[in-house]
Amino acid sequence: MAQTDDSMDDDVFEAVDDVNKRLDVSSKNTHPSPTGYRNYKPPDEILKLCQYDVIVSDEPVVHKTILLGDSGVGKTSLLVKFDTGKFHSGSFSATVGIGFTTKVVTVDNTKVKLQIWDTAGQERFRSVTHAYYRDAHALLLLYDVTNKTSFDNIRAWLGEIREYAQDDVVIMLLGNKADCGLDRAVRREDGERLAREYNVAFMETSAKSGQNVELAFIAVARELKCRSTGQKDANTFNVKDYIREQTEKPQCPPCNT
Amino acid sequence: MSALEVEPGAAPESGLVTTDTLDNFDEMSCSLEEIKNENDATQEEETNDNTINEQFDDNGVNDNEFVNADEEFELNKEWIGKSKHVFVLSMAGKPIYSRYGNEDKLAWLFGVMQTLVSFTQSSDDCIQSIQAGNTRFVFLVKKPLILVTVSKTRESESQLKMQLHYVFNQITSILTLTRLNKIYEQRQNYDLRRLLSGVERLIDHLLTFSEMESSIMLGAVQCLPLASSVRDTISSAITGACSKIKNLVFAILLANNKLITLVRMKKYCLHPADLHLIFNLVQASESFKNSESWTPLCLPKFDASGFLYGHVSYLSEDCQACLLLLTVERDVFFTLSEAKQKIVEKLRRSNCLEAINESLGNPGESSASAGFVEIRHYLYKCKSTAQFYQPNLSPPYAQSKEPLIEIYKRAHHRLHNVSRPLKLIFERSANEAILAWDTKGFELFVVFEPLIDTSQAIVLIGKLLNWIKKKEERLFHLNAPTF
Repeated sequence: MAQTDDSMDDDVFEAVDDVNKRLDVSSKNTHPSPTGYRNYKPPDEILKLCQYDVIVSDEPVVHKTILLGDSGVGKTSLLVKFDTGKFHSGSFSATVGIGFTTKVVTVDNTKVKLQIWDTAGQERFRSVTHAYYRDAHALLLLYDVTNKTSFDNIRAWLGEIREYAQDDVVIMLLGNKADCGLDRAVRREDGERLAREYNVAFMETSAKSGQNVELAFIAVARELKCRSTGQKDANTFNVKDYIREQTEKPQCPPCNT
Repeated sequence: MSALEVEPGAAPESGLVTTDTLDNFDEMSCSLEEIKNENDATQEEETNDNTINEQFDDNGVNDNEFVNADEEFELNKEWIGKSKHVFVLSMAGKPIYSRYGNEDKLAWLFGVMQTLVSFTQSSDDCIQSIQAGNTRFVFLVKKPLILVTVSKTRESESQLKMQLHYVFNQITSILTLTRLNKIYEQRQNYDLRRLLSGVERLIDHLLTFSEMESSIMLGAVQCLPLASSVRDTISSAITGACSKIKNLVFAILLANNKLITLVRMKKYCLHPADLHLIFNLVQASESFKNSESWTPLCLPKFDASGFLYGHVSYLSEDCQACLLLLTVERDVFFTLSEAKQKIVEKLRRSNCLEAINESLGNPGESSASAGFVEIRHYLYKCKSTAQFYQPNLSPPYAQSKEPLIEIYKRAHHRLHNVSRPLKLIFERSANEAILAWDTKGFELFVVFEPLIDTSQAIVLIGKLLNWIKKKEERLFHLNAPTF
């Protein structure tokens, strides 16, 4: 206690010289520096870091999206097409475990960060992938329109989703490889009917031609953005309506004839 | 030669388990339980999570397809000509894998194999191999599977058996031994192909790997040549970024089938056989190049009963080295992903990425360019570290590697013949001369020009060992860093 009293005394009865000295210093230092060193200017990297910090605080919320579906339906191809715009034909290589990609998309001038988990379709990886269902905000469930079995398995997938995922997860059913032509084994209407039955959004996509690839991810991003900004109750955005609007637009430029 | 005090490449400590033979191939070195229990005694219930949660519905994969006679003949002509077949079946005779052809169409053949095994078993015996002309049938009965190879290659029985062991381990590494056993305990005629879809590719690749590379035969791995300072910087970058992460067991950096560094948890070592499976997985899985991945992985020699979880990623677009961070925790992807970013930043700042690229871009020295014109090629394995070195291929083997591999396999077999092992072989033929030498510390196989004489060969080998000794810091991973 005695000590603190002493220090107070010091503050009160400060020597005049000391005060003058201090004033002197502060008047010389026109640019006070955070480090206390005179004329110190942080290197550019540090300044950049500071700027970066500002951006970080502004950074969009991360939304987790999982790609699901049987092995070989084209989950990775769809993602690679969306991420890089490329399609590697004829090079099938099964995903091992879970692949992880982040992609920032712009929806209505705001940035939405999608964290996309690309899962292996094989049965033996199920126990690993299940662990990630509950964190997911959106699920893209794929089947291959040339492979009837992959379509028949969709009901089982939806059952698993119901069991492991959050109740309010955004689900979108995608019939991939829509460019297949004569090899088609699942009609578009069948996909639509199934989607209606489970009340999920639906579209056909093609990682090869790029059909609806962008749209599928953007629609998810838009829905997630609306939800996170609290517009969900106001029902200002509905993923199914949005898709309907977007897909009803003419697919090819109007002919001049 | 006596001038060498320690064999080249030797180190006081090794991150790899060192073994010579297959005798203890079934033993595991460690237990995942142990690691977990040591680090946190509280999470015990987590470990039993790998239970089987499926309904075992067999959706009739075994439709007996009718093959018409012409088709069958076509299949046979090409099929019979293959130099090595490998089959995997269950104890009940259900087909699981055939290297060539469709297993379902070969159901009859799997039946024959199963019969041969169970027939010998009924008299408390076990079938090992059959020799018919130049075709060798080798059996490996490893419950709950039967593995068979039919080979026209000149590989020895023990070498073929080793390959079957690797195939078995590959399957275990996907499912764990515990699960494999459990499946067949619950249902003997389960069709395992359901759980192994996509694994055929791994097995195919593994078989090619074992035929075309010397590493499986030697039970050793090759390192990417790097200055020791660079390798140390890389190791310390990994240790620095990972030292605080609990339960991380191994960090492995590899490129182009060569090891760059291996950092491990104290007390635990990695068996070369497990490392070969990891190399095979990385090489055969293009999908790792697309994105960071998270996958369960069982290392059968480390612990066949459970999974490790691996964060697998390539360092960067401009540096194609693959980093694996293996842990016993099943949900630390993001922690490891962060650690990986830190590692890459550090390596970039210290120019290690460039150093790796430079070494990858460099075809490597041939033995002639190192000054040994009479030596065509050689394999040097340091036993205490389970690492080996070979120079770049040069004529006459630059075009096709098979004859060289065959020479090595033959010499290796004679050196390690179970009934009559040899220490030193020198053999001259019209095409080449081979010297094989097994010592306490190392194994050396050297292929010379055919006209070399014995004394000259001995002098050359002394020089060669000195040369390797001088370069050992660059050619081998001599430290065994820990977290």
